[in-house]
Amino acid sequence: MNSLEEYFYTDWGAMTAADWIGMITTVVAFLLMVGLYVYVLRPKNREKLEAHRHIPVSEDRKIEFGGK
Amino acid sequence: MMEAAALERKYDLGVIRWFSVMAVVYLVVGASAGVYIASELAWPALNFDLSAITFGRLRPLHTNAVIFAFGGCTLMATGLYSVQRTCGVSLWSSKMAWFTFSGWNVIIVLAVLTLPFGITQSKEYAELEWPIDILIAVVWLSFLLNFVMTIAIRKSSHIYVSNWFFLAMLVMITYLHVVNSLVVPVHLFKSYSIFSGVQDAMVQWWWGHNAVGFYLTAGFLGIMYYFVPKQAERPVYSYRLSVLHFWALTFGYVWLGAHHLQYTALPDWTGSLGAAVSIAMIIPSWGGAINGVMTLSGAWDKLRTDYVLRFLIMSLAFYAMSTFEGPLMAIKTVNSLSHYTDWTIGHVHSGALGWVALVGLGAIYHLLGRLWYTDIYSPALVNVHFWLATIGAVIYIVAMWVSGIMQGLMWRAYDEFGTLAYTFAESVEAMHPYYAMRAIGGFIFLLGVIVMLYNVAMTIHKSAREGSLLTARAQAIADA
Repeated sequence: MNSLEEYFYTDWGAMTAADWIGMITTVVAFLLMVGLYVYVLRPKNREKLEAHRHIPVSEDRKIEFGGK
Repeated sequence: MMEAAALERKYDLGVIRWFSVMAVVYLVVGASAGVYIASELAWPALNFDLSAITFGRLRPLHTNAVIFAFGGCTLMATGLYSVQRTCGVSLWSSKMAWFTFSGWNVIIVLAVLTLPFGITQSKEYAELEWPIDILIAVVWLSFLLNFVMTIAIRKSSHIYVSNWFFLAMLVMITYLHVVNSLVVPVHLFKSYSIFSGVQDAMVQWWWGHNAVGFYLTAGFLGIMYYFVPKQAERPVYSYRLSVLHFWALTFGYVWLGAHHLQYTALPDWTGSLGAAVSIAMIIPSWGGAINGVMTLSGAWDKLRTDYVLRFLIMSLAFYAMSTFEGPLMAIKTVNSLSHYTDWTIGHVHSGALGWVALVGLGAIYHLLGRLWYTDIYSPALVNVHFWLATIGAVIYIVAMWVSGIMQGLMWRAYDEFGTLAYTFAESVEAMHPYYAMRAIGGFIFLLGVIVMLYNVAMTIHKSAREGSLLTARAQAIADA
């Protein structure tokens, strides 16, 4: 067994219920993050997402006071 | 004045005014306590042999005052204000908002009445005893319920990203606080954690780092995503980046706590995982900082004249710096030098003074004119405050960097016989100039906050003299 195999060696039989829950949660979170990056960076979705940029500056535009 | 009346009629702003003013008052109190205990470390005679004012007793009072009193009031003021503005509705329950305000202030008073007298759970950033913990949970849930229900009754279809960050903070802090505060009460003023040993340490830092991650980061990023575009009068640079920022931060932050426990009884892999995810967090953190700063793209000249915007943009520079420094310190090699030294104190304060305080104060300055329907009493004093805050923070941080690295190097130095080169007392003596420098930096920062309190008081006085708020309220009642 080379050092890399040794480093990643896992005794699956020794995994407890908590270990499985933790591992599955981690893998699911990772996959969701990959999905999110794909969704957000897909050119097709750009216009739809960027349409929300203006919410704070467009709300009640006519009513502004001071602040400087 | 018609527009002011329309605002008064449409939104619940009274409670926001009180939260804003109390935030500044509490920062003066909390920073004063900080300067005093920093001075005690430099000049121990300031203890005056009174146990209630020793460093150990006043330090939790300082952290509770700045994090929960100042930070809490700032988050509640800005959160409850921006959720109304972005949803186009008034608060779901005005009475509940006042309950949150009253309850939060009662908690702060109880902290002042217990911590200096040694009534504490001895848990970092969670020192208050169990009856106060229960009160915190109830008041916090009232804030959460009001925020969620205001979103539920919104008139806009989309929930703006600043509200996502506030929501993440509200949900996460609820269960972090409840789990970390699980104790066995012995009597009204004493309890013991239900966790023990290394599990207790892990739960403590799971809470501790997520208090930083969700309360002092996600909550204040909610402030950034609303108030930077608002003050700059420009849309946020990239909404897509803000979506990535939110989810990456929310999924990532919960893993980091273990990096506080490197080289302890905690399993080694847990610390490695904490360090690895800490490094990964540089990506969303810097993405968010760039998103905030680049909102000014094409309008950089505003920084020359808009002093409030300076607070907000400078805070992002500190945010970027401390979110690079944190992962660096989580790496085991660096941690072996930095842990237990003043470097950690410097890191915390680059986040607290540079990021949290500057962005929070910038938001409160933004609110001043809009809540009291008048211009700020003295823009020149805002500029004075900006420079006092920035210079004070930099002096503080630099002092602690030098002091911390020197401490770490002195503690690990060996002579040719393998014995320690310095005694602990020698390292304490070497720290003295830096402790004095830290107290001076903190004092300069405190001066800035006092200048702000004066400016806030005078702005409210100016509004009262002009009758702008009273007229707006009267008009709103007449129109109703």
